[in-house]
Amino acid sequence: MVAPGALRVVRCGGSALRGARAVFSADSKYLLYVSGDFVKVYSVNTEETLRLMGGHADLVTGIQLNPHNHMQLYSCSLDGTIKLWDFMDGIPIKTFTVGTKLLALYTLASAEDSVFAVIPKKDTFQLVSVTLTKGAGQDLEGKELSVVLDGVGASMKHIAFGREGAYVVSVKDVDLQVYFFKRKLLNRFSLSTTKTKGGDNRFSCVVCHPKEDCIATGHADGKIRLWRNFHDKKEYTYSTLHWHHDIVMDLAFSIEGTRLLSGGVESVLVQWHNESSCQKDFLPRLGSPIEYISMSSDGDLCCTLHTDNRISIINSNLRFSRSIQGLIKSRDVKTGLVVDPRTKALVLNGEPGHLQFYSLQSDQQLFSLDIVQRQYIHQAGLKQSDLVKVAFSAQGTWLATVEESEEVTDPELQLKLWFYNEEIQSFELNTRINTPHDNHITDMCFRDMDELGDDSLILVTTGRDCVFKVWVMVEDTDPEGDVSWSCDFVGSYHNYQATNCCFSEDGSLLAVSFEETVTVWDSLTWDLKCTFCHPPGNIRNICFGRLTCSKYIIGATDYGFLCCWNLLTCALEWSAQLNVVVLQPDPLSEYIAAISWLSKESSLFVFKPNEPLPVYIQRNLCKDKILLAAFVPRDEPEITSSEKYPWLRKSQLFFLTDTQELMTLSTKSLEERLTPSSKQLAVEESLPVTPFSLLLGKHRHQQAQEDTDLGKLVVHNKQKQASPAVKELLHTPAHVLPSASFLCTIFINSLLISKEKKSAEEVADEVEMESEKAEDDSDEEDITAMEQEDTSHMELLGEMTCKLSKSQEKELRKIRKMDYSWISAL
Amino acid sequence: MGEFEVHRVRFFGLVPAGVRCLACHPRGSRLALARTDGAVEVYNFAANYFQEKVIPGHELRTVESLCWAAGDRLFGAGLSGDITEYDLSGLSAARGVDGGGGPIWSMVANSTGTQLAIGCEDGSVKIFQVVPGGIQFERNLDRRKGRVLCLSWHPSDTHIVAGSIDFFRVIDVTSGQTVQRIMVNHHVEKAKRECVVWAISLLSSGTVVSADSFGRVQFWDWEQGTLAESHTVSTSAALSLAVSEKEDSIIVGTSTGATYQLQLLPVTLGGQEKRWVRTKPFQFHSHDVRAVAHSPTALISGGLDAQLVIRPLMEKIQKKSYDAALRKFTFPHRRLVSCARKARLLLFQFSQYLELWRLGSTEETGKDGEVLPLCQMPEHLVQLKSKGPEHIYCSCVSPCGTWVGYSTASRFHLYRVHCDGDGVSLRKVPKVPKLLPPAYQLQFSADSDSLFVASARGSVHVFQLLEPGGCKHLHTLRPPSGVEGRCLPFLPRGSAQGGCVAEVSAVVPSVHCPLLQHHCTVPTYNCAVSALAIHPSTNNLVIAYSDQQLLEFSIPEKQYTSWSRAVQSRGLHRAWLERDSPITHITFNPKNPSHILLHDTYLLCVLDKSLPLPDDSTLLMNQSTLKQLPETARKRQLHAFKICKKFQPLLFMDLLDENCLVVVERPIMDFKTQLPLPVQQKKFGT
Repeated sequence: MVAPGALRVVRCGGSALRGARAVFSADSKYLLYVSGDFVKVYSVNTEETLRLMGGHADLVTGIQLNPHNHMQLYSCSLDGTIKLWDFMDGIPIKTFTVGTKLLALYTLASAEDSVFAVIPKKDTFQLVSVTLTKGAGQDLEGKELSVVLDGVGASMKHIAFGREGAYVVSVKDVDLQVYFFKRKLLNRFSLSTTKTKGGDNRFSCVVCHPKEDCIATGHADGKIRLWRNFHDKKEYTYSTLHWHHDIVMDLAFSIEGTRLLSGGVESVLVQWHNESSCQKDFLPRLGSPIEYISMSSDGDLCCTLHTDNRISIINSNLRFSRSIQGLIKSRDVKTGLVVDPRTKALVLNGEPGHLQFYSLQSDQQLFSLDIVQRQYIHQAGLKQSDLVKVAFSAQGTWLATVEESEEVTDPELQLKLWFYNEEIQSFELNTRINTPHDNHITDMCFRDMDELGDDSLILVTTGRDCVFKVWVMVEDTDPEGDVSWSCDFVGSYHNYQATNCCFSEDGSLLAVSFEETVTVWDSLTWDLKCTFCHPPGNIRNICFGRLTCSKYIIGATDYGFLCCWNLLTCALEWSAQLNVVVLQPDPLSEYIAAISWLSKESSLFVFKPNEPLPVYIQRNLCKDKILLAAFVPRDEPEITSSEKYPWLRKSQLFFLTDTQELMTLSTKSLEERLTPSSKQLAVEESLPVTPFSLLLGKHRHQQAQEDTDLGKLVVHNKQKQASPAVKELLHTPAHVLPSASFLCTIFINSLLISKEKKSAEEVADEVEMESEKAEDDSDEEDITAMEQEDTSHMELLGEMTCKLSKSQEKELRKIRKMDYSWISAL
Repeated sequence: MGEFEVHRVRFFGLVPAGVRCLACHPRGSRLALARTDGAVEVYNFAANYFQEKVIPGHELRTVESLCWAAGDRLFGAGLSGDITEYDLSGLSAARGVDGGGGPIWSMVANSTGTQLAIGCEDGSVKIFQVVPGGIQFERNLDRRKGRVLCLSWHPSDTHIVAGSIDFFRVIDVTSGQTVQRIMVNHHVEKAKRECVVWAISLLSSGTVVSADSFGRVQFWDWEQGTLAESHTVSTSAALSLAVSEKEDSIIVGTSTGATYQLQLLPVTLGGQEKRWVRTKPFQFHSHDVRAVAHSPTALISGGLDAQLVIRPLMEKIQKKSYDAALRKFTFPHRRLVSCARKARLLLFQFSQYLELWRLGSTEETGKDGEVLPLCQMPEHLVQLKSKGPEHIYCSCVSPCGTWVGYSTASRFHLYRVHCDGDGVSLRKVPKVPKLLPPAYQLQFSADSDSLFVASARGSVHVFQLLEPGGCKHLHTLRPPSGVEGRCLPFLPRGSAQGGCVAEVSAVVPSVHCPLLQHHCTVPTYNCAVSALAIHPSTNNLVIAYSDQQLLEFSIPEKQYTSWSRAVQSRGLHRAWLERDSPITHITFNPKNPSHILLHDTYLLCVLDKSLPLPDDSTLLMNQSTLKQLPETARKRQLHAFKICKKFQPLLFMDLLDENCLVVVERPIMDFKTQLPLPVQQKKFGT
């Protein structure tokens, strides 16, 4: 457990949602999906993430509803455990330790106390049946494995269980295996490996028809094959559906099997009717390649998981309903992490050619700005234009973007300047500059000067064509008086490639790094003021100090040095040997964060430029390489952590790893971060609705209220205080206990109500405080108690709860709202 | 292999006619095929799908439907309104019987083959009795308006289902009354287009399967008149369908050239409930698939792109053999080209005319693989149109290039070619002796002074050619009396010294060689002969059979040669035996008596008898690998079969002189461009 106040690295978005197919709860009210190490519960109606179930130590690779209790969920993870959850409350009920990596999980209604999982076996993978031992306690062993199939694929899409669990199908490369459980018969079918006419027969996914004996397989060339008669090795047959032009990523049958859904890189969901190739419907423009498709049990909804971490929920009539999108995963975050000054949203590459505005508070995408404004075509080897650089002016009124085509030698560059239009609440394209530089643009920054107004707005771009260019606004000659941007000054230094640029805080100086040298320019006259360098090694990052440290300029070289130069003396103030990957100044304070990458661990150093010693060091920040970081200004300065971590007071540091997970540093514990409202909501809804429990629950509630009214609180409180003494007494081993006579007094004392000798005022104060605390405590206790109760109810009444129909539930709620206070009178 | 100067001829503009209908023999051993030009062909499944018989077409006789009845009798009916019986031994069409209902669109035989039902333009369905020597009108069934496009008998012969435009009806055969009439598109809202029922089949369970112009295959319960299942297989018309004998599989041909298989499969494994499921699609054709047939082990389809495709059903084939491979036939299994070696002329035979071309020539020489520039372009000398509506059976040009002969079903024509400078004139030879038509093969002797005409009943007529343009019947060679009337003569190529003639009966597979000096019989072999030739110097007879066997028979010694015995004992290479098409021509290299040159549609082979035979472990087509080997290693790798696959599809090959070859190719793309445009289809990525 982390001590309170310690900084913890917290994941706050961008975790891969693609570990496994999402699962709808039995009533289709909730959607459960995997997000990194967590399982998230999402309310389909309110579009809100209700619950985050953490507990696995590694990526979750499979989730399945418990077929015998629809309120429970099995999850498996690479950490080798299978957990059974009550997903309404987010409580882990049981943990089964299997011991080997688990790559996929399947449950069967016919298998009473076992689940199926995929485990690695040397170079291949096996499908095993894991017997879940029944026993008391939370942590159980699940080591009774029996191999069902050998040589299966590692992905959960490569195995499917047939109608009523009669058989299991596994696909790998070009081989299909069907194992019939009852007859213990294994049939193998192989397709040809030759790639004739652009065909590629490798399997990509498999699903089984829910009512008939039919297997649907997706292939790498976009074909879907429907296999029948596969119990016969010779007479088996298949038909082919072909629409996708590239790999079929996933398939799903509707509940009755009359419809088949398929998806792939085209970002189009295809619905096939009656296995006919002539009748098909499409839902196009889903944004990004479809990775998984899942169906709700009532067939009303289906959901698609996309490669960019988006979830789309789709109605049964193939209408797009809603989407869950956190941080959109783009192929490559070239823009870096930029903060939009207006919305405080994090801005980075989103969909191809788009800029996403990601709200950190709500973990949602605010909007997506189409920069490239070209249709993205999913095709291998096609050179697409993509967004590479983004810069905001200080007020967020101007946005500069650079896009380039993926060609290495002769990139097609475009610099676009966007003006924020208050009326339409969006950015409008103001100026488009073709080929601003002759080679790749390496950096770009605005001169942010709030006080000087629009006239001082300057944009500087640096390019590999060995120049930096200064762009200024000019009034258009046309009568409307619009402004546009044009080049004002071109600077160069010894024909070196310009790599970085930044303005000092007051905007008077511009620092541009040319390979090994940092040059400082006067921004009014564009004179070269001075140069710094720290050979060997090119400059990787530069930044000016802020506030009190504005006389310093910091640079990091790719030779592993962090240098701080004094602008007044033009001399090196200090340098440190550090392989800095990210150098990020806090815009609101003088602190600068540097993240280094050394021998497979990222470390964070926070320092003030005027002191060579860092303020804060955290080694081994996370396993992945950190690529980008950003300080996001807080809405209001945080007080709690201010003493210990002054650098976190005004801004919060976020960083992005190479797996595109967004992390932050937080002093709060995990529990605090969960919104209590949603928690309460879930508890409410998950109560097992029986007439008795409703009656009892209401009665209890009233009684508790009466108790508090009667002021018995103090006594309760005392008991609570006493309990540690008793606990200590009972839990200490006998041989280390002092003599009984010594303990006796303590024990007796603990039972007594102590007489206070404080003044009345003080007492009242303290009571109030304590009562607050007590309320908190009791609240918490209540929840846990209830949760435990719930689980036991679940186990006992699991069957019953699900059998209650909606009308019955309504009736019960009516009963609950009635006044039963007369019972207590009896 | 030996180096040759090759005349690569691509100006033979042959466009094979499209396949109009197919009829599988009930016992599954033969397939009758009719082409759009009225030609009827018979393929023998037992002999590697060899095109055994060809009956050339007739301008006035289109064939819409073929069926086998009463054992091995083949009947055809067409838009001329006649029902024709084909004489398969005499390769001719017997005189037709008028159907009496206008153009006939379809004809089917009942399960016993005793009755024929025809569907006519006027909407009538008529029943004919098959009697020895012909057919006899039996009765008319209920007549309704609308042409009857397709018919099908119930397997128990009690009912006939007749498909028309927009509806089909079920007729009780005993009463002759229509018992059910079902509109096929009554449920389609505002159907503006008419729905043509192109093919129909009545299954023993009482299910009617219909294929219509909307691309649907529909299954109806005819007693209730309800639609049981509907499969839209194509966006364009479904033109043909065939049901397997067990009624568990259906093949459907569509106008986009795709064929589809539908199978009756259990819904759940081992369950009783079964459903028709569209399973495999095949895209072998580029044009309409007008005819399909379902043999017990294969799906057979014929399209307007002139292809016959035999797609074996792997699950029905027990062991991997010749039958397990996909077969496609586009070109006839016989020669349509003859060559005048000395005059360097080529005679091309089309269905109704002949073309005479003079080969180009060059004076350059070059290395292997080089293309030499022509100094004289090939020249189209003359086109000779056949008189009358009949199509040409056979043709030949004499080695000296001065005589051209051809035969139709009823007449034999001989022409004298005069080449004087640039002008070419043809003069008909008067008073050609009347023969018993038709002539199946013509062959001039090497010195061009006599002509052999293979004619009916196995007889070969020998004519003496007289200058300046006349001929005289010398004598007739007849086969031994036992096989007379059942055999077709087959003239060998390359017979040199005057009157060396062999003939072969196709029905009784033995070869008789009625030479002038010798007369002998080659032992019986149970396969059809696809080509034979007599070596000019050794008088060895080389025979290629349709199962790809090769035999060499010494006529002077009246026994197989030792090489042939060695081949028989070793067995031929497996790759050789599994080839697609039969050897259509054999010739010899006069310079090297141990060389035999032979070709089929896909390869050209020089058989060197002096080299060892390959066994199954060695590569049969090793010419390209040999080229890369050093001289010493190459010696060890050499074997008797030297194969060249450079020229494809190869219609003809002959040796002009010792080191000059002529090959006639007909690239598939060339003739595809002469076909009408196929149905427009959206193709992804175009």
